[in-house]
Amino acid sequence: MACVSRKAEVEGIAKRASIMKEGKEKIDLLFERNAEEQLTGVDWNELNAAISSRLDQAQKSKTSVRKYPTVFKIAAGIAAAAVVFITVTVKTEKPADVQLDKGISAVVKFIDKKGSASIEIKRPSGKSQVMVDIGSSQRKVARCDVEIIDLNGGLRKGSDEAAWIIISRPEPVLADNGVSRYNADLIYLF
Amino acid sequence: MNGSQKVNASDIEKLVKAGQAGDRKSFDELVRLYQQRTMQVAVKMLGNADEAAEAVQAGFVKAYMSIGKLKEPKRFEVWLLRIVTNTAISQRRAAKRRAERIKIADCYEDNKAVSPVDKSVTEELKEAITTAMLKLSKKEAKAIALFGLKDLSQGQVARIMGCSVEAVRWHVFRARQKLKALLKEHL
Repeated sequence: MACVSRKAEVEGIAKRASIMKEGKEKIDLLFERNAEEQLTGVDWNELNAAISSRLDQAQKSKTSVRKYPTVFKIAAGIAAAAVVFITVTVKTEKPADVQLDKGISAVVKFIDKKGSASIEIKRPSGKSQVMVDIGSSQRKVARCDVEIIDLNGGLRKGSDEAAWIIISRPEPVLADNGVSRYNADLIYLF
Repeated sequence: MNGSQKVNASDIEKLVKAGQAGDRKSFDELVRLYQQRTMQVAVKMLGNADEAAEAVQAGFVKAYMSIGKLKEPKRFEVWLLRIVTNTAISQRRAAKRRAERIKIADCYEDNKAVSPVDKSVTEELKEAITTAMLKLSKKEAKAIALFGLKDLSQGQVARIMGCSVEAVRWHVFRARQKLKALLKEHL
């Protein structure tokens, strides 16, 4: 009895294994069948020609890139030089250094890059803060009050007319020779 | 020949090296040798010949453009199949959206004796497989497509997929399980 039961069990396992195997094979066969049928109608020469055509196009683009490397290099060089030039120009276009020696006044003209002096103006007149390099020898930055003096009857709104401003030190500096504070201040024109 | 004929590995290597040196004819020869093999994989992954042909073309162009980067010419086949399978994977998602398809292979020649019933069954199967394949993960799709390929060892499949042989077997197993469920009507 036990022997029969064992035999049935083995047969069952074998059957299940067979079904599993069959299932796998069926899936694989289904795929194979579909692939074979799909590939049966393929015109290999036509496919080859299509690939060749695509490769021709790719080769053209590949060649054009190879053909003009010098041009690209020159263009890149010019671009790099332009960047360097602009950087150097911007860096050198600082307002002229001025000496804030006591009793000395100066007129400084900003060249192009007004912004490089970090001057903030409240138009048409008023006071504002400004950061100015106060001299090449000292190389320190002073925070000053800015006063706009309207010499032309007031700046028109939005115009770029020249205006005078006076930049004074935070603490009034009286010259040794007794000149007034304004004589010791710095006048900027822009 | 169309890839069905056995080619000496050293010949392949020579062709690859020549192709890397810019010899277009050599690359064309490689195309001729491998177009059938790549199509077999692409068809299995995509389910239909039109999409497969598009993937194969794009794959060969990619291979041509980057053949100079192939460090081991003797592994050209593995490298090429990796490119084609990756291209096919990318194409799977775009397949439905593609408006213009390149009709390289009209799967059935006009004069081929296929009954309307047989043809519709085949078309149905094609569509079912295409849809089912889209439901597999990338690795499962690659694994099932590459696994049964003639003359391609499991180690090579693993190299193409960039994983271990065990992982390949697992992906094949998972793919079969999913496909069995998805395609049970056709089994």
